Amino acid sequence: MDTATLEAATAAPTWTGVVRYLHRTPRAFLPMKSFPELTLIAGKGVEGDRYMIGQEAGFYSHKPEEGRQVTLFEIETLQALARDQKITLLPEDHRRNVTVEGVPLNHLVGQRFWLGEALLESTRLSVPCRHIEEITGKAIFDPLINRSGLNCRILKGGVVRIGDTVRPD
Amino acid sequence: MAKGIRTVSTVVTSCDTPAPGVRRLILADPDGWDLPPFRPGAHIDLHLAKGLVRTYSLCNEPGDNARYVVAVKLETESRGGSRFVHERLTVGTPIGVSLPRGDIKVSQVGRNVFLAGGIGVTPFLSVIRDMEAAGRTNYELHWTSRGAPPLAEAIRPAIEAGRIRLYDTRREPRPDIATILREDGSNLHAFCCGPNAMLDAFDAATASWPEARKHVERFTAPKIAANSNFAPYELVLAASKTSITVTPELGLLGALEALDADVPVSCAGGICGACRTRWIEGSPVHRDRVLTPAERASEVIVCVAECASSRLVLDL
Repeated sequence: MDTATLEAATAAPTWTGVVRYLHRTPRAFLPMKSFPELTLIAGKGVEGDRYMIGQEAGFYSHKPEEGRQVTLFEIETLQALARDQKITLLPEDHRRNVTVEGVPLNHLVGQRFWLGEALLESTRLSVPCRHIEEITGKAIFDPLINRSGLNCRILKGGVVRIGDTVRPD
Repeated sequence: MAKGIRTVSTVVTSCDTPAPGVRRLILADPDGWDLPPFRPGAHIDLHLAKGLVRTYSLCNEPGDNARYVVAVKLETESRGGSRFVHERLTVGTPIGVSLPRGDIKVSQVGRNVFLAGGIGVTPFLSVIRDMEAAGRTNYELHWTSRGAPPLAEAIRPAIEAGRIRLYDTRREPRPDIATILREDGSNLHAFCCGPNAMLDAFDAATASWPEARKHVERFTAPKIAANSNFAPYELVLAASKTSITVTPELGLLGALEALDADVPVSCAGGICGACRTRWIEGSPVHRDRVLTPAERASEVIVCVAECASSRLVLDL
């Protein structure tokens, strides 16, 4: 069986995930606060968050980035840090907006997917930064390399709630 | 290099004079958001004006993240900080502050002795309030002041419980620190904050003690940890015709910021590649995980690089 035939005859299992935590903060350095829902505004960002376009109050706001409207993080990474590095990193510590479970974020660069009723398009992997070590006081820069989450733009806005399904477009 | 936000934005929500010559400020987020948490005995830098940064202890209870409380005594020989606080800050004034730093680690089981002179009590206020809140009473504070001590209401319950000994130097002699700190076999831990004479007496009384059991708060900014062991070198920006001496404390990144160099730093850890810069002369020491050996022959990731030569010239 040649490769084309094999690919046509089989299909990789797809995925669905779930929203576990939602966070935002209005300004640089301030603690992320948990909310049961967040409002995502197409083309702009998370309502009330420091990186919403037009608000620009984040640590990196001096480096505008159209594709940083909402950020996601895998809960599995938090579990791996605890299991493998004995580092306790909580959902409010990683400073991304959405903590998901069952979503292979690193596979989604350049792809569209649904976050509840919002449609996102991933622009790039997030990169860890020394800033997060300064805030948390934990040596997490190296352990977060290549698993620091995903930056996305918001194609269709909406209210995202804890427990919402995450699925491919 | 575009300037990012480097301080926590706060606003003065209250200021009063709890004791003669002492101004107390309450700082909070403009919208009432929680502030970054702090540990007992922590302090923050107040960015009062350009080039005017002062460090003060946080006086409120750790866990009270809605505000930062600082108390500042007007120094007659003020270098500008305390005078600015007393004369220029009013309710509504915005102030940038640093993230809280430092703490006072008390012994969980041993005897903790705090020695304070006047306004030098401030780092112990948050410690005592934290211990009292947790029901821990394995401490005593010996607090010397001329007249009524400032800010005493902050720890009134501990005073009434007899865990704080007040010395009014208008009516009684200063306490003998060596006597207070006499070892009684209880694994004593001692902490001191006050005027220089008090600190000197403390140093003398604890000269033979292990470092782990004595702690001094000097109200000066901690010496910045050197980023490397490299010798200072001259950094030259060829295009902008500027230069600066890069010390280990300043580091290459700090030097570029000081020169307002146009470098887009992002991760500050040598992995994202945002700050790759062409170098022209010198011996850069590469510490990134981005560039290939061939690229390193002409480029450098400045956020983590060092220099082994006396001069580094960048194409900036």
